[in-house]
Amino acid sequence: MHGEYKMPGGKLVVVDLDVRDGRLARVQLSGDFFLEPDSALRTIDAALEGQPADMDEAGLARSIRNALAPDVMMYGISPEAIAVAVRRALQGEHLA
Amino acid sequence: MMRTEWHDHDWQLIHTAPQSPSLHMALDDVLTHEVGAGRRKPTVRIWEWASPAVVIGRFQSLRNEVDAEAAQRHGIEVVRRISGGGAMFIEPGNTITYSIYAPLSLIKDMSFQQAYAFMDAWVIEALGELGIKAWYQPLNDITSEGGKIAGAAQAHRGGAVLHHVTMAYDIDAAKMLDVLRIGREKLSDKGTTSAAKRVDPLRSQTGLPREMVIERMIATFRRLHGLTDDTLRADELTQAETLAQTRFGNATWLADVP
Repeated sequence: MHGEYKMPGGKLVVVDLDVRDGRLARVQLSGDFFLEPDSALRTIDAALEGQPADMDEAGLARSIRNALAPDVMMYGISPEAIAVAVRRALQGEHLA
Repeated sequence: MMRTEWHDHDWQLIHTAPQSPSLHMALDDVLTHEVGAGRRKPTVRIWEWASPAVVIGRFQSLRNEVDAEAAQRHGIEVVRRISGGGAMFIEPGNTITYSIYAPLSLIKDMSFQQAYAFMDAWVIEALGELGIKAWYQPLNDITSEGGKIAGAAQAHRGGAVLHHVTMAYDIDAAKMLDVLRIGREKLSDKGTTSAAKRVDPLRSQTGLPREMVIERMIATFRRLHGLTDDTLRADELTQAETLAQTRFGNATWLADVP
């Protein structure tokens, strides 16, 4: 499943994922945003992995924020924008 | 760490013969580290390309961004760089690319948005001198009345900031669209229409050969900030060649975000 969200004033946030047993699996965040340090990408993927597929956007964004060290810098992307891309990926399956 | 200004630094210029895409990726990594470690003075590097390439951003999905079959058909090497941002389509002579390697002190206490505009203020001035009214368009674009001119990306590594920019000189838009899976929305963002055959803001707005545009840009930087001609040290090149082999020319790194 694939979801995209162009964050207003930001960059394109893309999420590819599967759902297994009602939970997010094989989550891959990508896009033309900026993250420092670059290892934060894996941290975000891991924070989303295994989350209930029916979790709301606020919950998803909170999970991401809690997993990130305070020194992580995001430019053109935010936990909230990633949560929107996750929801769009999940909705794409329902429409298909 | 004290905030520093441009003129606090003894800027060096590297502009060498054409190099391979994976060596360019490696040189950005090595030179950022060298400046961060204080073994190299702050440096500007102008890139010359030995062969065509698609350069994807650090966080872009390889399969979402690139049509691998089309890239192969056109003989285009796909590489991943160390900074975020979007994909670039490069053919020798179609773009102007440069990197600036600076101590983090130069952008101390700046927001990302301020730091991008700050690092390219000299280019806006250079473009003005070339007759192009250009401005910074947050987050990371340089644009003009004739459309987008350039995209920038920064990465922070060990006390240094890498700021690199690719400017469109004269791009074959049809080939670019063949290779990059670029959405229509994104294309309009680049100031082009679906009918455009070439994206050539620098060529059409200056009427100058690419080499001349580069020469004028270097002259502007030299006048504003000072610039001494330099070359790559042998150990820097050796390090970069090793990294180009073991990391940047490697399928694992390329598919790091598959």
